[in-house]
Amino acid sequence: MRNSTKRNTVPSLAVIVGLSLFITGCSGGGAAETAEEPTEESSEQPAVRGDEDLIIWADPVRIEYIKEIADTFAQENGITVGVQGIVNTRADFITANSAGNGPDVIAGAHDWIGQLVQNGAVEPLQLTPDDLAGYSLTAVQASTYEDQLYALPYAVESVALYCNTEYAPGTYASIEDVIAASQPAVDAGTLDVPLILQQGELGDAYHMQPLFTSGGGYVFGRDAEGNYDPTDLGLNKPESIAAAQKIASLGETGANTIRRSISGDNYLSLFTEGRAGCMVSGPWALPDVKKALGENYSIQPVPGFAGMQPAQPFMGSQGFMVASNGKNKTFAQEFVTNGVNSEESMTQLFELSNQPPAMVSVREGITDEDVLALATAADQGAPMPAIPAMAEVFAPLGQAWSAIIGGADPTETMNQTHETIAQAIAG
Amino acid sequence: MEQRVASRAGRGDPAGTGGGSGGVAGTLVKVVALGTIVGLAVMLTPALVGTQQWAFLIVLWGIVAVLAVTYATRRFVPAKYLVPGTLLLVLFVVYPILMTFQLSTTNYGDGTRTTKEVTISRIIGSAAQQVEGARTFELSVGSEGTATSGPYTFLLMDTGTGDIFAGTPDGIRELDPDTITVEDGVITAAEGYTLLDRRQVNELSQQGGELEGFAVPTEDGVITAQGFSAVELSSPLEYDETTDTITNVNTGAKYTPVQSGDRKYFTNADGERLSDQSWGENVGLDNYVRAFTDPRISSDFVGIFAWTLAFAVLSVGTTFVLGLFLATVLNDARVRGQRAYRSILLLPYAIPGFIALLIWSSFFNSEFGLINNMLNLDINWLGNPFWAKVAVLLANLWLGFPYMFLVCTGALQAIPADLKEAASLDGATGWTNFRKITFPLLLVAIAPLLVSSFAFNFNNFNAIFLLTEGGPFSPDNPTAGGTDILISYTYRLAFGGAEQQIGFASAISVVLFVLTGVLAAIQFRATRTLEEVG
Amino acid sequence: MTQVNPQAGQVTSPSDLTDPAQRGETSKNSPAGNKMSFGRWFREVGWRHIVGIIAIVYAIIPILYILSASLNPVGSVSATSVLPQTFSLDNYVALFTNPDRPFARWFLNTMLVAIIVVVTSIFCSALAAYAFSRFRFKGRRGSLLTLLLIQMFPQFLAAAALFILFTSIGDVLPAIGLDTIAGYILVLLGGALGQVWLIKGFFDSVPRELDEAAVMDGATHTQLYFKIILPLVRPILAVTGLLAFIGVLGEFILASIFLRDNEIKTLAVGLYGLLDADRTNNLGIFAAAAVLTSIPVILLFQYLQKFIVGGITAGSVKG
Repeated sequence: MRNSTKRNTVPSLAVIVGLSLFITGCSGGGAAETAEEPTEESSEQPAVRGDEDLIIWADPVRIEYIKEIADTFAQENGITVGVQGIVNTRADFITANSAGNGPDVIAGAHDWIGQLVQNGAVEPLQLTPDDLAGYSLTAVQASTYEDQLYALPYAVESVALYCNTEYAPGTYASIEDVIAASQPAVDAGTLDVPLILQQGELGDAYHMQPLFTSGGGYVFGRDAEGNYDPTDLGLNKPESIAAAQKIASLGETGANTIRRSISGDNYLSLFTEGRAGCMVSGPWALPDVKKALGENYSIQPVPGFAGMQPAQPFMGSQGFMVASNGKNKTFAQEFVTNGVNSEESMTQLFELSNQPPAMVSVREGITDEDVLALATAADQGAPMPAIPAMAEVFAPLGQAWSAIIGGADPTETMNQTHETIAQAIAG
Repeated sequence: MEQRVASRAGRGDPAGTGGGSGGVAGTLVKVVALGTIVGLAVMLTPALVGTQQWAFLIVLWGIVAVLAVTYATRRFVPAKYLVPGTLLLVLFVVYPILMTFQLSTTNYGDGTRTTKEVTISRIIGSAAQQVEGARTFELSVGSEGTATSGPYTFLLMDTGTGDIFAGTPDGIRELDPDTITVEDGVITAAEGYTLLDRRQVNELSQQGGELEGFAVPTEDGVITAQGFSAVELSSPLEYDETTDTITNVNTGAKYTPVQSGDRKYFTNADGERLSDQSWGENVGLDNYVRAFTDPRISSDFVGIFAWTLAFAVLSVGTTFVLGLFLATVLNDARVRGQRAYRSILLLPYAIPGFIALLIWSSFFNSEFGLINNMLNLDINWLGNPFWAKVAVLLANLWLGFPYMFLVCTGALQAIPADLKEAASLDGATGWTNFRKITFPLLLVAIAPLLVSSFAFNFNNFNAIFLLTEGGPFSPDNPTAGGTDILISYTYRLAFGGAEQQIGFASAISVVLFVLTGVLAAIQFRATRTLEEVG
Repeated sequence: MTQVNPQAGQVTSPSDLTDPAQRGETSKNSPAGNKMSFGRWFREVGWRHIVGIIAIVYAIIPILYILSASLNPVGSVSATSVLPQTFSLDNYVALFTNPDRPFARWFLNTMLVAIIVVVTSIFCSALAAYAFSRFRFKGRRGSLLTLLLIQMFPQFLAAAALFILFTSIGDVLPAIGLDTIAGYILVLLGGALGQVWLIKGFFDSVPRELDEAAVMDGATHTQLYFKIILPLVRPILAVTGLLAFIGVLGEFILASIFLRDNEIKTLAVGLYGLLDADRTNNLGIFAAAAVLTSIPVILLFQYLQKFIVGGITAGSVKG
């Protein structure tokens, strides 16, 4: 009897739930959802969402400070601004922009510009020469594509050398010196590795670039105006092969310093836990390094191989761009060319993000030596090529580095990789 | 019991026996539900007609018609059960599949997302440079009528000289400063004009607004708005529709569309491209032709296809065997703590898959990974093609066996205990019992799931991508990795390079879909006899 | 009508139908178990525990690692071991205190999506499964196979198409366009028939005599379905419900296309965004999030276990 009563109520509940679902959910497509909408959504969401006067997309890790600067702009102009963190910012932006439901402004790295321009997704910015003069030259160069400025740079970044001063207290002129400094501690078993240069099983061309350039290698040649030339691929040049051989000597079959087991998953924790002497990494590592090592770290530009060229890492410039198909282009242009384009805003951005600023005058006020060191490192870099052909380079070149540090023949590997990339660029 | 039966008998409405209705209340609910849906459709119709969304309108009323025919009549009872889910399936799965097919016949992707018209205007617009010694202005917008009606005028204040101008599409003229009020460097009032606030300017500049593309011609070029400033620009490029040529007025270079691969670019006589921008076009079956003739794909195909099959079969096989084994072993009522066992064995499934995969990927690190460290091994898990395959299978087994365990446990419950018991009475041992009775019955319910699990793993992009990204790679072939399955391999071809080739990727999706379907059909033939047991 | 009542009472348990004498036998195991010798106990029951324990070790080591990482304030890959060395709730606190990753909000969104999607799809699946199991109509087998084939198309492959579709839906009905939870729910509901096969298999094992008896009893189709059949298949509804629930929890590819605003993200896409950004030092926070995410699944499973484990026999009316 107990059971039977229960059994009666459960199904009737199911019927009610079921039928109401019928009305709301199951019929799909068109009409029914409006019934669901007011009850489900309006109570959940403030009405303004999606109706902001200006929408900005950024990488989720950057929205914190971009939100602040956007709020300032919103207040000054009496408008509302929405900042959205998008995982695949670049790809999703291109798709959404062409469909007409993308943002008005996108914050991203300068090396996206080539692809964005190819898709007609961003518009050139018209800044006066006076305005531009206020920014670091490399940052402006990086943000310029086919003679047009597409991004307003706010921060520059490149890899630098972090050292744990307990093991490697000095300033080093060569990468050999860096390794020698903490090699004794490694031999004694105190440290796992003298120098962290993350590669992983798939390799990492970005982090290898300083050593590659120091050895004399290059990816793309540059013309007189500093533009990268996709037809001048340099991976099989004798200098590039020589550089690969130098790198191989630090690999698993050589000094065993650069190894595939150190990857993007563990590089930072190995360093912050004091298991390595030095580390090649960018400004993004700074907060964690500071938190873990306190005062016991130093930052300097990555040195090159002894007696060879200076190391020239890829330099990246973070900037704001105006979407070509945004709904609120006027506010977007205003935000980029006037809102953030001021010493006040750039200072605010720097204080919030603590990234090496692109605006020269903001840099002058900085006393934080870490940021200055990171800025110096970035200035010594060469802008990462923004040309679409660069996308064909990273994966194969990374795999080549992984193979070379794993013991593959540098000459053969570089020649093969050159061939692969050249073919891919040719289409 | 009697109470229950009585109530059921009491509600049994003789009139309802033929159809799906359940008495007066049921009819009422049905009428209300259908009424609501029709009502909503009616409500939406004017808006749809207003915006000329005919396709939408047809779909909307199509749905209403299907629902009405199904539930208001007594014909074809099965439809009453099938329609809700099927509608959803058609709208959000079948239709996108058809659209994917449609996309696969285009060159849609990076550089080809726009129409030719848009591309030309973008190319010309992006070439606009500030004229020599360009003037810049603070911009306000005034209307000679009301703020919403126009005609509109750009009220421009030269940032260098402070001179004030009125600019219209007809030209520019200087204004008397006395008729103008300037506050904080911005024009805030002008005689004869109603000034627009910033929101209004933004709104009118939107697509289709009256200020969209508003340009004031000058001697050297045009003045256009850049936010609430304006600047004097000129573009050296001109497009001539009749000859389909873009000319650079400064250099005299002429660019005409030239085919390259699956698209056209504006190219000059020397073969130099004006821009990387192209435009969308139908390419027929070219993407399919490419998928089957690309020398890279055909040279890698056999190996990758074999591993894809092995990966799918082994993933299903290992998870099923382990899941079934555990389910059978623990499905004995005498085992104490069944609940605890089941709860714990479910845990791997309770962790979101992508987090688990990323964590497993760190377990396999040869030097710092948990597995080598705990078991004191020195295996280069992710660097050696063989061990990388083992690693992928191991991680996938851990992720997948709880599913099989759960499904088998559920299915085992469905097998009437008396069947087994009857068999035991006949002297069957546990194993024979399992083999002759339990397993075949279980397979009836599970076989289709094994097939769909196979299909899932056949295209299990996440497992590969998050664990190994398809690696390890060898330098002589950086496009085909040691653990690449077809989907990860082809998607790298479509998306990994300089251009996202969505048209090509869609073609690959369609091919993979067909391939998976064929494989599944083959498996079904094999299990057909089983299926008919039910 | 009254004369069919006894029959109706009987048919509610399929086991009764097949073997009415069986009930007396089920009780034999438990009293016998107590008197078993150890050897026999081990042969029949004990070894099952050994298997169970080995399986648990395999299942739980990675879980322990995640738990341990979540309790470790350093929260990095290399600093974490399987057994927790420290007990710090820092990572959990961090989850709830950073306004830029509104974990609680994501959690609620996920539950909202999961509940609507699970209930609707189980409802739709069960309806369709019943039709496939009980009715014989033209094209039945064909539709079943088609259904299976269509569902083999991974929905994310159609991401570009879905994007275009929902862009145009959003133009007409912004409330269910891109960047809305409702739109995302709809996309997931495209898979509403995902559980048909599993449920159909279960329906097939429910004897058809049951339906016939009930129809003779005067029950309508609706009554038969909701009052007799559905309660009988509760175990499989529980299993499929759980599967669908877990499926929703882990879905991030479509979510990352559909849900842009921080406030409407689900856990999967929110966490993936952060994980994607920095895996190396945020492990602790993700581990904490993973632990918290798995709790609803575990709770749901605990609740559903009685349906799963009890199976059909518990559903029958034996007073």
